[in-house]
Amino acid sequence: MTKDELISDEQLNAFTDGELEADEENRVFTLSEENAEVDVRLCQHRKVKELVQHAYRDVPKPRRHDNKGGPGKNLLSLAAAAVLLLAVGLVGGWTVSRSLDGGSVPLVAAATNPDTLLLHVASSDPMRMQQALDRAEALMAGPDGATSPRVEIVANEGGLNLLRSDMTPYARQIRRLAEQDVLFFACSKAIERLEEQGVSVQLVPEANTNYSALDRVVHRMQQGWTYEKI
Amino acid sequence: MLARRRLDTVDSTDKSQRGVTMRVLAGISQKRLFKTILANSRDRLYRMAFSWTHDPALADDLVQQTCYQALRKQRHLRDIDAADAWLFRILANCLADHHRARREVLSGEEFVIVEKWTPEHATQEDQVAQRVRKAVSALPLAHRQVVTLVDLEGFSYAAVADILDIPVGTVMSRLSRGRRALRDHLLDVNARGEVNLPAKVRRIK
Repeated sequence: MTKDELISDEQLNAFTDGELEADEENRVFTLSEENAEVDVRLCQHRKVKELVQHAYRDVPKPRRHDNKGGPGKNLLSLAAAAVLLLAVGLVGGWTVSRSLDGGSVPLVAAATNPDTLLLHVASSDPMRMQQALDRAEALMAGPDGATSPRVEIVANEGGLNLLRSDMTPYARQIRRLAEQDVLFFACSKAIERLEEQGVSVQLVPEANTNYSALDRVVHRMQQGWTYEKI
Repeated sequence: MLARRRLDTVDSTDKSQRGVTMRVLAGISQKRLFKTILANSRDRLYRMAFSWTHDPALADDLVQQTCYQALRKQRHLRDIDAADAWLFRILANCLADHHRARREVLSGEEFVIVEKWTPEHATQEDQVAQRVRKAVSALPLAHRQVVTLVDLEGFSYAAVADILDIPVGTVMSRLSRGRRALRDHLLDVNARGEVNLPAKVRRIK
């Protein structure tokens, strides 16, 4: 507030936003009636507030190519995943069924030693990429071969370079892991966004592009998979 | 002196919180209630994310990330009536993480992201809204967040301070600077920032 101002912008804002005590409000009302400049400043504060409210009353919706389930699909999926997570947290483990040698075998897995693991790569830092691949490789190698773990690696926009054939330094390791049935998913939304920007996205042949990263994560979490973000 | 938020003040936050209380009294379980709140908050979170980024795809990603984190961390939410501010705090953190991941280091309120403004932004029918959005997008992110949390969601200054983890005084100064910048962009003020009074009310000594 300058020495020429009767009231500061902060006070006018607080008045505009209903943050003043009653006696302070009375003072501002009185000032605005007595002083035209205060009145104009007050009107300007209110007008700016109303303009901001008007500007965001209707905002453009995101274009979602994978919204097959209609509005709220993802949120419902997330909610289901959360319920599952809660159950995992309470029980400390979970039961899943999977196909093994043609049969359905119930498994009980501890959360700290998962047989079903989804690795979410969200960074193009080569060390992080390497960490994800090594993690998958270690799990697939297994200590004794008694179990057949299932691993998926999902790359969102941040980690998409892992699966871009012209970017990834790990094409051979990806191929080796794919031969052990590790599945790779490149986020379809991220690809679409890059292509809209004119970027030609070439992926390694092992990469699937049927899902957005989030949808894949939610899908697997619903099935009780362990999630790790790298 | 700032007033405590009055019970008779009707805004979206209060409506939401009052509704929450009613549902708790009605005996709806906490988990179900949380899911309802989250589902009902999605559009508001998206609007806020859009006002911070002006990028529909990024805003959508931030909201999804917020929902995901909220669901994972819901056991940390002790007071269901505080869910509203809690969700917006997660959203703010998701945006900070997004910038951090791109090595866009935030340095307090001096940090400025001037959003890229492309012709497609101006293809909408509402020219006034476009002009305001452009002005908002030119604000430093720290100012933009305070202005939009107060104006779009009607959060109290104390709630904004909690959401952004800053003192209330900082909320007030950022709001003041943000609104002043918007006023200069959008309203009729002269080059020195002085108010152009209408001739009929101008006082002459």
